[in-house]
Amino acid sequence: MTLRLIGVCATWAVALCAAVLAVPAGLHHAPVSFVTLAAPAPALRIALGLTPLAAPFLVLLALLAIPVGAWSLRRGRPIDAVLIAGFTLTMLLVLIARSVVAFFFAWEAMSLISAFLVAAHHERRNVRRATFVYLIVAQTGAACVLVALVLLAAWAGDPSFGAIAGAAATLPPGLRTAVFLFALLGFGSKAGLLPLHFWLPRAHPVAPANASALLSGVMLKIALYGLLLVTFELAAPGPALWGLVLIVIGTISAVGGVLYAVVDHDLKRLLAYHSVENVGIIVIAIGVALLAQSHGSSALAALALTAALFHTINHGLFKGLLFLGAGTVADTEGTVDLECLGGLWGHLVWTAPLFLIGCAAITGLPPFNGFVSEWMTFQSLIGALAPDGDVMAKLVLLGSIAGLALTGGLAAACFVKVFGVVFLGRSRRSRATPQREKFDAPAFALAWLASLCTLFGFVPLLVVGPLSRIVAGAVGGAPMPLPSLPVLPAALVLLPLAGAAYAVVLAAQRGVRKAPAWTCGSPVTAAAQYTATAFSKPLRTVFAFVLLPERQRVVDAGASSWFPKKIRYRTESRYLIDEAARRFAAAMLRLTRRARALQSGSLRIYLAYAVAAVVLVVVVAR
Amino acid sequence: MPAAMQVLAIVVLAPLVQGAMKRLRARLQEKPGPPILQPYRDLAKLWTKEAVLPEGVSIIALCAPGVSLGVALTFAAALPFVDRSAGSIVDIVALAFLLGLGRFVLALAALDMRSAFTGMAASREMTFASLVEPALLIALLGGAALGRGTSFASLHGVPFGLAGALAFGAFFLLLLAETARVPIDNQETHYELTMIHEGLLLEYAGWQLAMLQAAAYVRQLCFLLLAAILLPGGFNPWAAVVWIVVLAGSISVVETAFAKLRLFEIPQLLVTALLLAVTSIGLRLLGVPV
Repeated sequence: MTLRLIGVCATWAVALCAAVLAVPAGLHHAPVSFVTLAAPAPALRIALGLTPLAAPFLVLLALLAIPVGAWSLRRGRPIDAVLIAGFTLTMLLVLIARSVVAFFFAWEAMSLISAFLVAAHHERRNVRRATFVYLIVAQTGAACVLVALVLLAAWAGDPSFGAIAGAAATLPPGLRTAVFLFALLGFGSKAGLLPLHFWLPRAHPVAPANASALLSGVMLKIALYGLLLVTFELAAPGPALWGLVLIVIGTISAVGGVLYAVVDHDLKRLLAYHSVENVGIIVIAIGVALLAQSHGSSALAALALTAALFHTINHGLFKGLLFLGAGTVADTEGTVDLECLGGLWGHLVWTAPLFLIGCAAITGLPPFNGFVSEWMTFQSLIGALAPDGDVMAKLVLLGSIAGLALTGGLAAACFVKVFGVVFLGRSRRSRATPQREKFDAPAFALAWLASLCTLFGFVPLLVVGPLSRIVAGAVGGAPMPLPSLPVLPAALVLLPLAGAAYAVVLAAQRGVRKAPAWTCGSPVTAAAQYTATAFSKPLRTVFAFVLLPERQRVVDAGASSWFPKKIRYRTESRYLIDEAARRFAAAMLRLTRRARALQSGSLRIYLAYAVAAVVLVVVVAR
Repeated sequence: MPAAMQVLAIVVLAPLVQGAMKRLRARLQEKPGPPILQPYRDLAKLWTKEAVLPEGVSIIALCAPGVSLGVALTFAAALPFVDRSAGSIVDIVALAFLLGLGRFVLALAALDMRSAFTGMAASREMTFASLVEPALLIALLGGAALGRGTSFASLHGVPFGLAGALAFGAFFLLLLAETARVPIDNQETHYELTMIHEGLLLEYAGWQLAMLQAAAYVRQLCFLLLAAILLPGGFNPWAAVVWIVVLAGSISVVETAFAKLRLFEIPQLLVTALLLAVTSIGLRLLGVPV
């Protein structure tokens, strides 16, 4: 108990620090540096400080670390609570690092400690495999990040971020592009952008729920912070092409992520795929901001960046809520397989309605926070679609609008499936009458996050106001005004809420007779309910060209083929992108096997290689 | 107050439009058809009857009819007939989210019913809605003046031309999908396996069904009005009435002339709508003078 308590208290202390640091970070208009440690070489100097861009991320860290701590009080292993405290601390350090070495060490510490969390259940083979994949991607990504930062520091001649930002205006175009590409690879793979997302659906579901909440809710956002840091501070201003690249990658990630999610039936893996989707949405908004900035329309750039940062905070909140809710479901039911769950509404009396708020928020339904930030993202995309300007860029924007709308529709389908199958209807297993849930610390954690989702939805100015001030400093202009924003969420749900209340009151007054559901006269059983596989079947068929579904059907006919005794049905998606990655990996393996011919094992041949290399170096260097 | 008058007018006239379309369709098929005022009588009769639901349903199933009606009324209030200024709160993008809210709650209620038929309808509704949504948004943007924001006022005073015609064409296909018409859905079907929208309502009865039906009628009239806005002069309420008569007539003709599509051919129709809408915006972006 003491171990758990120490961990939770430390997590809350980090949250408090993040909240306290967020205030000066957001109020200052320029980055400040407050600690600089001496080092044997100037290049290794460690500087800590605050930049306005970090403020929203600090707020998110604080808002999410509190409920994650509360959830850990009752559920999960005690050692995880301690690891989570360390994890939050390293994320805080990344956000306040202001020199190359400080950033890189904090970044690596964050990756390593999160790998320990992913490996929590290391006795299972798939967990070890997921940890391995995660570490490989994390280390490759970290190497790319290091290259980008070192290139910048070498140009500036100073490793502190202040000096790098000062020298950013004089960066030669080639170097600027190289920095962007390395940053995109490094931060993009950590953020889970397609096609470098493959570690994410493996690692997030196997981690404990409280760790998944932080991994999805905050760590992916720290990677986006890195991307923002490079594109808006260290290597600013970027050309329009960066914006277009980000919009394209973001759209592909959003649509791809949600398509993966809609056909997946492991609750936690499905949520991990939705992180890919939401990171895609945020990256679209960042891309629009870069595009608008390069065209000189700072009002639009500021709006897009505000939308990106708002969605960052929002996604952290509702994804934290959903992961912690999934953790509660896993704890009480022993599984997160959608095909085995059902009818939890009856006894998870706190988790179920709070989880519903999370589902509505992530789907972007009014009046919750996800709606406001997605609406703002649409506004910035459509605003960039003005009739003048580059036609190519407009076509990309148009595709992105269509992709984002498709994403919204598919996300709605997915969360109707999740909530309807897991919480509504009847239980799909025969079991003893479960205990009614009490309002305990985990329920408090969910309630905290659900209230924030609702509050930020009904009163968006609470967040949008401070964000616009921060953004104004980064892009040099106030966001485009959205006059309807303060009242829009409330105006949209006023009548639906009134209608719902009226319908419930009327049902209480007039009564509702109960009768079995219509099943053409056959007895009503839990097995007659639509399952998750059945629900996503039309989408699997419509999007078969991306999902490449395969199915197996085994029929045990028994005496009559009309009344088979047993049917086993299995379906699996191979996914276009995963298939391409698999082919690529196979080709690389073949290539390396050929290259093995060089490795003869004979010492003389190796010496000849060495001599040839020296000669080559001398010739090239001459 | 004018907005309230607009909502009232739409609510009062919505069943009439439904009755007229049903009658016209029946006549085209050489059947006598029900009286034009039948929808009013149906609603009045259903309103007095008791509601029946499966055992153990959650509060979501109780809320859904009210939410559905509320969404339809908000839609009716958002249309730009009385308040044509840019001050209107609900814009084109918000409308898409609003419709999404109604659909989400209704589909959840359908899964709450524990019946295979309602679950099937929910699955189909959400599948096709995800394809309708991008096309709907882009078709409305295609009818709007680019760069003037996303309010309904941006649809006003835009020259019709080829781009406008394509945007309208796309919207007409979506209108058929959103109002559950042949060739996408069939309001008249009694065969559970072919139902999409009707299937969602399968377990509802009595006054709850009356609320859901009224919501469907209001939503249908709102979509017709939105289609009229995309046509020349549609912002004038009287012109809109003329256009609605024309549109209702053409929908009845379509419902008579075409058979229902196979389920997995519907996406092709919806993608056609999307392509029409994208072409429309593309023409405006390229500044093709038509």
